[in-house]
Amino acid sequence: MSEKVTEEDKESGGTRRAFAGYGELVILVFLIVVFSILNPSKFPTVANLNTILNTAAVPTIVGVGATFVVLMGRIDLSVEGTMGAAGLAYVLLSPNSRTGTNWGFGAIVVALALGAGLGVATALVHTRLKVPSFIVSLGMWYVGLGIAAVLFGQEMQPFLSDPDTTVWPTSAPLGVSNSYLLALVVVALGFLVERFTRLGRVPYAIGNNEGVALLTGIPVGRYCIYAFAIAGACSALAGVIASMSLGAGAANVGVGMVFFTLAAVVIGGTPLSGGKGGVLRTLVGVLVLSTLYNGLILSGVAPSLQSGVSGLVLIIAAIAAGWSQRDRLRVVK
Amino acid sequence: MEWYTGSTDTPPQIAKSRLIWTTPNGSVGRCSVRNISIWSKRMSSAGKTVNVGLFLARKFLTAASFGAFAWASVAHAGVSQPTYPKSDLLLVTTVINATNPYMASWIQGSKDLAAKLGVPVEVVQSNGSSQTELAGIQAQAAKGKKIVLVMNPVAASNVPAVVQTIKSNGGYMVVWWNMPPGTEPKTSGDHFVAFGTYNGITAGECGAEHLMEALHGKGNIIALPGVLDSTVSQERYQGLLDTLKKYPDAKLLDTQPANWDQAIALRTTQQLIAKYGDKIDGVWTADDAMMLGAYQAFKQAGRADKVKFSGEGAYPPVIDLMVKKASNNAVVASAFHRGYMAAATGLLIAYKAAVGEIDVSKLTPEQRHGQYAVGCVTPENAAQYQANGGIPPGWLDELIKNPFKDLVGGPVVHTAAP
Repeated sequence: MSEKVTEEDKESGGTRRAFAGYGELVILVFLIVVFSILNPSKFPTVANLNTILNTAAVPTIVGVGATFVVLMGRIDLSVEGTMGAAGLAYVLLSPNSRTGTNWGFGAIVVALALGAGLGVATALVHTRLKVPSFIVSLGMWYVGLGIAAVLFGQEMQPFLSDPDTTVWPTSAPLGVSNSYLLALVVVALGFLVERFTRLGRVPYAIGNNEGVALLTGIPVGRYCIYAFAIAGACSALAGVIASMSLGAGAANVGVGMVFFTLAAVVIGGTPLSGGKGGVLRTLVGVLVLSTLYNGLILSGVAPSLQSGVSGLVLIIAAIAAGWSQRDRLRVVK
Repeated sequence: MEWYTGSTDTPPQIAKSRLIWTTPNGSVGRCSVRNISIWSKRMSSAGKTVNVGLFLARKFLTAASFGAFAWASVAHAGVSQPTYPKSDLLLVTTVINATNPYMASWIQGSKDLAAKLGVPVEVVQSNGSSQTELAGIQAQAAKGKKIVLVMNPVAASNVPAVVQTIKSNGGYMVVWWNMPPGTEPKTSGDHFVAFGTYNGITAGECGAEHLMEALHGKGNIIALPGVLDSTVSQERYQGLLDTLKKYPDAKLLDTQPANWDQAIALRTTQQLIAKYGDKIDGVWTADDAMMLGAYQAFKQAGRADKVKFSGEGAYPPVIDLMVKKASNNAVVASAFHRGYMAAATGLLIAYKAAVGEIDVSKLTPEQRHGQYAVGCVTPENAAQYQANGGIPPGWLDELIKNPFKDLVGGPVVHTAAP
């Protein structure tokens, strides 16, 4: 995959690179137009926009962390397990129907630490023992679910007892739901790190050509640990928000998020081989998928057809996202 | 060679993957169904070459070494199937996952019964995987004890392979919820003692009738069934449709499967609220987990007190909502049955066959394949279901006297799936 950045890249520069970013935006606008025509009274409303943004909040937060990992050519499949473990840890340490604890913000800190810890563990096994991140994080998915299962125990499902907490993610005192505002803050932080820090730039170098990165003395292993820790913490935060929204602790609170976020990262324009893309693109990728999810239900597409249609649109979106680079000499695996 | 029938017939049954029964809390992935079909084929070919001899050898061995002792030790000597002393038995109970209230209740029922009987119990956790379930049961069978199994299958297609395993082991089993079409305990031999289930149509009607009552027979409702191709979900949904025929002024606005999942139900309901807004008067769901998700979505939208909800399974938090008459008495009904009761009943039937307290050949057709009582919890009677997970005091002792005490009829008759 080292051939990606070549002389050709420099030559094609300007215009092509400028357009390269718009594939996913084009598909987003296309979806919005189509669904608006199909449901003129329901789809293009402020209330529905908020529904879409609310659906997008959790995958956006996960997506920011996932982007850092994918930029380095790695993959983090542990999302759903981490969300479950961190979500349950948060619920059990907050006022709930089962335990008498109230750690306040401490509960969120513990959840984030747990998520970051799982990320670090994934990265350590991956870098020190040279096991592909795919398989380590796949295992860590189930480790996370296992932690969630132990926390869940065999008693009654724990419910959050503070009603203000459970409506916080969806209430919108500023016009947009709190959870999406939080997601935007995470995106902004991710963008600042990506653009202005060494921690943000190095993943591009590693994703582009890891061999060269190693030769220039970049401690690839250490940056892997950082990236997976960020991804774990993002998944954990997403688990906390999803649990708040659910009003209860559930091990499978992150169900479907691996597919949702990885598809969003790729549709956004960060290839799984890494080296290019970024968190802003993931933001758009998530919006494409949540608009699609919302639009299919609003348009009355039969439930039995929904998954097929969304799969097709996903493929078309991925084609559109990579359209401007299709004839370039690049390796696609 | 009667005991082969189920196993060699397996591939054609698996081909009809749409007909497979799924449990109220688990989903069947296409991938796992295919995997298990490969597994089952292996099992059946292994059975052809090896297991006949093994089975006969075991049979002779049983008769020779344990027979006299076993027959002398049981209360009801003279049954037709091979029996064993209690010390020779191991109870095994399977769950689809361990993070669901229904499964937790299932495990508790198994453990309580085991404690009463004084026999050790092992829990096989399938983690949603057919392969894991099968491997777990086989590992228990390899321990050398006679297995007494109650199984809540991840996929119906698992059943024939497990029947084969239990036959080779010499133990006894009961299956709850899912069984592939064409497989019957009666035609699978004595070791597959019985199949039990709850009538999904009755359960669906419990929610639908009370929903209609609360809405005075008119209004718009949305429905959240479970996994699309789940027979259990289809039965319950059929119960809803049957009920709605009686109320011409009620309209089913939309049906969106929420995969038995609280988090998915929350997300789906949020979209439906965006679509229909104030038009929704009632929400029918095929399971309480999904109802809790839908209820949460309406609470966040500030409309929970203007909408009525019905569920299935009478989860303790749902019973609490009914007792508290929360959100203007929003929850109107939920059908009642417990994993506790299913597991204890199934395990006990298999146990009694193993120790010779029941004669498998003398069981009635309903006892071998039957449906068990489903209750209907409403705000009026909810308080009596609050204590002890809704299990009546002394229920387990009554059960031990008569394992078929909650049996209400034969197989559930299916109408065409919607």
